[in-house]
Formats: sequence, C-alpha cells, structure tokens
Amino acid sequence: MITPGQFFSLVDTQARMALKAEASKLYLSYLWWVLEPMLFVLVFYLVFEVLLSFGRENFLLFLMCGKIPFLWFSKSITMASTSIVQNRGLMNQVDLPKTLFPYASVQEALYKQWVVFLFLFIVVVSYGFPPSWHWLSLIPLILVQYVIILSCSLIAALLVSRIADVRILITMGLMFVLFTSGIFFDVQSITNEVHRDLLLTWNPMAFIFDCYRKVLMYGQPIDMMHLGKLAFVFCALLFAAHLVYIRLSRQIAKWVTQQ
Amino acid sequence: MNANILEARHLNLDYPIKEGTFRWSQFRALHDVSFEVRPGETLGILGRNGCGKSTLLRILAGIVNPSAGSVICHPDIRRSLLTLGLGFRFDLSGRDNAVLSLMYQGSTKKDALASLPEICEFAELGDFFEQPVRTYSTGMRARLGFAAAMKTDVELLLIDEILSVGDEHFQQRARAVMLDKIHGHQAVVFVSHNGVQINAICDRAIWLENGRIGSSGKPQRVVDDYRAFLRTL
Repeated sequence: MITPGQFFSLVDTQARMALKAEASKLYLSYLWWVLEPMLFVLVFYLVFEVLLSFGRENFLLFLMCGKIPFLWFSKSITMASTSIVQNRGLMNQVDLPKTLFPYASVQEALYKQWVVFLFLFIVVVSYGFPPSWHWLSLIPLILVQYVIILSCSLIAALLVSRIADVRILITMGLMFVLFTSGIFFDVQSITNEVHRDLLLTWNPMAFIFDCYRKVLMYGQPIDMMHLGKLAFVFCALLFAAHLVYIRLSRQIAKWVTQQ
Repeated sequence: MNANILEARHLNLDYPIKEGTFRWSQFRALHDVSFEVRPGETLGILGRNGCGKSTLLRILAGIVNPSAGSVICHPDIRRSLLTLGLGFRFDLSGRDNAVLSLMYQGSTKKDALASLPEICEFAELGDFFEQPVRTYSTGMRARLGFAAAMKTDVELLLIDEILSVGDEHFQQRARAVMLDKIHGHQAVVFVSHNGVQINAICDRAIWLENGRIGSSGKPQRVVDDYRAFLRTL
C-alpha cells in the first residue's frame, strides 16, 4: 500500500528523474526550459506583429503574458493525457494508485514552469513595469491555474486510457482554447459586450490569461470573486476525479492492457 | 479466520478483441479457475505460453479484477508480483530505476536509497549502474530487475518465470536467493512453463491449459499430466 506521503514523494521523485533524463539527452539541456516558450512567442510575434502588423504597443510582452501560462496548461495536459497508457507495463506489475501518473506529468511541467515564470517576470520588469502590490494576487492566480491543470489532466488521462481516440480530441480542444482565450488578442477589446462577458465567465482560461495581463502589464486588481468561484468548482472537480480513479483503479489497468 | 492466505473462486476473465470497425468479439482468457494458496506453501502454475498464467497472476496480485468470480485475500496480507524489467524507464539510469522500483513496492525514498549499494552489487552492473537503462543488454536489464524485485518483503510472492535470468553464474546466485525466499515464511505462487522447475521447487502444482485447470495436486503428477498432454500435440 502507498501512503499519501509516499504518493507525493513518488510524484516528486518521478518528475525530477524525468526532467534530469530529458535534459541529459539534449545538447542545450536545461536551457530549453526557457528557449522553447521563447521560440513559441517569437513565432507568434513574427506572424502577428511583423507580417500582419497588428501594431499594438508592447505586443511581444502582451503575447508572453498570455502564451506562457497557456503553454503551461497545454503541455501539462498533453503530457498527462498519455501518462497512464505509457505506464501500462508498470501498471501490470504493481497495483498503484493510477492518479500517480498524471500527477507526475503535471509536476514535471510545474518544475519547468517556475523557471519560465521567473524569466517572464524579469522581462516584464525590463519593459518598465515595476512589481506592485498587485503582484501578490499572482499567488492565488497561479494556484487556481494549477488546480485547473490538475483536474483537466486527471480527466484527460482517464479518458485516453479508456478510448485512445480521445487523444486526437484533446489536441483539437487545446487548439480551441488557444484561439478562444485571448492569447494573441485582448479579450477586453471584444466589442460585443455579451460575447465578452460570456467568454470571461465560461472560459476559465480566458479569464486566467486576462488576469495575468491585468497584474503584470496594467497594474490592475483582478476579480477575486470569480477566481474564488473557479477555485471552488475545480477543487470539487479534482475531488470527484479522485473518487472516480479510486473506483476504477483495476478497470484502468485492464483497459490499458487492451490498447 | 480463514486458514488460506488467498482463495480464487470461479475466476473468469474476458477480453474484447477488435475485429474491425465497430466489431468486437470476446476472448475468454480464464475459464472458471478455482484454487487456494495456503500459508507458507509454494504453489506452482504450469502451462504453455499464452495459457493464461500471467493473466492469472495479475488477478491474484490485485492488479486487474476478474470478469466474474472473486479473489479472497485478507487486506493485511501484502502481495507482490515479481516480473522482470517491464516497468523500467529506458531513459533513466539503473540507479534511478532501482529507486523508483523500490518506491513502487512501498519503500520510502530513504530506505530505497539505502538499499542501492546492495542492489548494484547483486546485479553486477558496475559502472553501468549510472548509465541509462536503454544502453543495457537484455541480461543486464533482467539482473537489475531481479535485484530490485528481491528486496520486497511480503506475505505472498507471485513470481512470473524469472529463474531463467542472465548468464549461468548469475542464474546460480539468483536461484539461491529465490530458494531462500521460497523456503522462508512467505507463501509463493510460482509460474513456469518448465516442468523440471515446478517439480523441484513447489509443494503443489496446477496445470493450466487454454485458461482452464487441466489438473492439480502433487507436482510430479501434474507435471506428468502436462507432459502427456504435450506429447499429444
């Protein structure tokens, strides 16, 4: 039996080892943690600023504030979604809590994300936006995003372990989030008020990315009430996902051997 | 209190098999398998490749549920399935894999780290212990798997054909450790397609053919039945 203490120790150990193994295989090793999100941002910058001349002030920083939290979300979910299936060999040997695998993937992405966030904050300051008291609200913001990532990852991994086809839908879903969450446009600039409110209320990621910009670029307070509601909903979802995992544990082991 | 350490009652296991788009059929891997494991005994399960032995072990280990029937085992009885190297991550070093292996079996990280020198020594990996497992030969992987697996201390050991690991020198050492475990206080369920091994090690045996029990009882008699069957093929 694995105790909760052992569970988190395993999540941590697995994530660290995976990071070390990945870095040891690459020439630029740990440098990729920052290089990769930077390259993503550059591609967007080239398309929207240089080719399409959006002409917005501080557009590169604007992009980074949306794209970097998005990459955290999308990479965690992509990695976590196949984590159970990839560990089928192990699952056939030991009766482990199946939540271990998505948790380890999310943790792996989290360790990388600290470095990337630090890099983002340095860029924000170097653009001439000094840290303000509002930066403190980044703590609940990042925490809520983490809970959202965890609950979505658990659900994604479970669905993929049941039906492999879901993997394709997840890729599509993440692209949908990318285009509807105001990463390369400002959600606040949507002129139709009803559409804008609908998007900010019902697309949690649009709300979260908008909050990052409010704090880092505009020095504005964020809607703590709505953030609290999100925290409540996704904590409940995470809890429910755990119950489902406990109930289906052996079923999952059977599903993945059949895939 | 039940005298048996584990009881398997009327186990069936069905797998769906994909035959085409939207067409599935059922494959029955186990048919109405019942037996018990008594404290301290070594029970051998004999059968050809694909007869359902490994599937049965997975059910006994509590990794998958049977489609019908039940496995009765007291929650205090710790069970562990020993198979080789399946769970290894090829991009991690032997050391890291050994740590993870022990932690999966319930060790704390501290205990796992403390057992490393012993594992490295037993697996005879030398400097390769620090190298990624993908650079290992099959024999080296098997040795590492065996060394890590032998660190488990449980009441019921389920062993999936691992006596044929590595070169002859290692096999001798492995056999000694295994026999030590088998003759200890633990109950052991031991799976093999090799009648000689079953006869040498086990107190009781079951012959499994096509997911059904062919015969069961004294190892010598079961092995004879199995061999007689093989001659008819």
